[in-house]
Amino acid sequence: MNLFTIPLRNIRRRPSKTLLLLLVFSLGVMSIVALYQVSLVVGYSLEKKLTTFGANIVISPATEKLSVSYGGFHLGDMVFDVQELPEGKTSQAIRSIKLQDRIAAVAPKLVSMTKIGDTSIALVGVHWPEERGIKSYWAAANGRFPEKPDEILVGSQAASKLGMQVGDVVSIYGKNFSVSGILFKTGSDDDSVILVELGVLQTLLNRPDATSFIEVAALCAGCPIEDIVDQISMKLPNTEVKALQNVINQRMASVHFVQKLALSVSLVILVTAAAMIGLSMLSAVNERKKDIGILRSLGYGKSQVFMIFCLEAGFIGALAGFIGYVGGFGASFKALEYLALSEGAVPVFAVAHLLLASAVFALITIVAAVYPAWKGASVDPTTALVAL
Amino acid sequence: MLSAYNITKNYQTNGRVVPVLKEVSVNISEGEFVSIVGRSGSGKTTLLNVLSTLVRPDSGELKYRDDNLALFPEKRLNRLRQSDFAVIFQFHHLLPYLSVLENTLLPFMSSLRPVSKQRVQQARAGLERVGLADKADRLPGNLSGGEQQRVAIARALVKSSRVLFADEPTGSLDKETGKQIMGLLMELHQEGLTVVMVTHEPGYASLAERTIAIEDGTIVH
Repeated sequence: MNLFTIPLRNIRRRPSKTLLLLLVFSLGVMSIVALYQVSLVVGYSLEKKLTTFGANIVISPATEKLSVSYGGFHLGDMVFDVQELPEGKTSQAIRSIKLQDRIAAVAPKLVSMTKIGDTSIALVGVHWPEERGIKSYWAAANGRFPEKPDEILVGSQAASKLGMQVGDVVSIYGKNFSVSGILFKTGSDDDSVILVELGVLQTLLNRPDATSFIEVAALCAGCPIEDIVDQISMKLPNTEVKALQNVINQRMASVHFVQKLALSVSLVILVTAAAMIGLSMLSAVNERKKDIGILRSLGYGKSQVFMIFCLEAGFIGALAGFIGYVGGFGASFKALEYLALSEGAVPVFAVAHLLLASAVFALITIVAAVYPAWKGASVDPTTALVAL
Repeated sequence: MLSAYNITKNYQTNGRVVPVLKEVSVNISEGEFVSIVGRSGSGKTTLLNVLSTLVRPDSGELKYRDDNLALFPEKRLNRLRQSDFAVIFQFHHLLPYLSVLENTLLPFMSSLRPVSKQRVQQARAGLERVGLADKADRLPGNLSGGEQQRVAIARALVKSSRVLFADEPTGSLDKETGKQIMGLLMELHQEGLTVVMVTHEPGYASLAERTIAIEDGTIVH
């Protein structure tokens, strides 16, 4: 028996009223938790889908650049001391960072210049599965994607420049390649290059394991991209790791939109539920003036009367937080199933989150009950005695 | 032990100041049984509320032992009501959702620290004293009016109060039950408890050692 016994017994006195209040607040918490879980999963799923529209981190070897001018004429920039990235070691290093679960795809590339006839053209060596994974927007306008090592894919601009057709055989570095397909216009650098299997190009150039740069598609919903960039930089000290902010910002804007929408709806529900608790406590103060009078006559101070109302609200909040979290968690599965949104991702239950939810909602109800509790505590004993 | 000098108390009614106590002076000795009598609206309950510190006077001095209670901050007055002073009312005023035992222990439940076993034993002894030991776990709604008043008295016993203020303690009871309650109050008084009782029953008032008659906020004798 202590001060907490008083609000606890009072709650028991009016079970139907308490249950109704608990039900309403629990439903509020349930909606918030379900919305939060759904937004998390949908955000993750959305980001995963968006990842297929391009990489957001580029890793290139550290280079030295020198700006050359002579006699007042600017002669352009000179890049020297260009190093290559060893494919195996670099890819392994990227895949072994702490946030490795956020790495969706690693696509290495080797770039080389060659001449076909009299026309200079860039050759880009890629791994087809990884490349197509981060560039799902690619489509072959004619033909198909390469399936054999001696097949190449030609960008639309490069094909028209070289007058290439699907099925043509081209000699590159003395090896014959068949044009398996021509890309649709993508509006990117891919339009003006010839794409070839990376391993084949490495052999032709006699640069085994060499890459010019590596594109990485990282999922940034759960952590800032800066963390991933920092971790890769730590693993690869002599490289330049750059986050493509535009891509990230666009991607995150979509994810944040979903999360902000869920947050706004949650806030409305929360304010409504808190207002209900506040109103209920306010009416309880008026109903319980007699109780306040008895307690004051027994020497209970304002702070103790204040505490009784806050404890009562806090208890309902904590219980509603508990019930709501468990209910909301279950409801999020149903919602994701119903909306077919999860794409393999599932909400994750954490006991710490459950306890945190109980504590947070207890605190919210206490805040909502502050005014009624203060009003109750401020009831003058004389006024309370009139109620007696 | 408890003295009031020139106590004045006014209430505001419809924007009008109504004087309820007009420079009232009272002196109550330790162990005394004093009854306060008067017609309805004469100011007897207000005087009891002022003496028990439930209501602060507008002016005048209220002394308990050597302390001037008029100068006490709210917290010290609360402590005094938790320890030395006990008040029982006409309508018993128990919290309906607490058991008889919990109501008896209510003065000790004002913090989050659990009530000690010793206090619980004292409460059970108090309930035994007023003949309600077997009803400790019941809710007040299941008790008769007389039993409820006895719970209120047991509550005063448990905290070892020095002064018991009773506002018409028999007012809502039938004659027989009223007599039992008065018998209990007399018993406690004989054991050394100071009792200040407001009543409009001349029979009960005459049981006190001294009677203070009040009329229109002034003591007439």
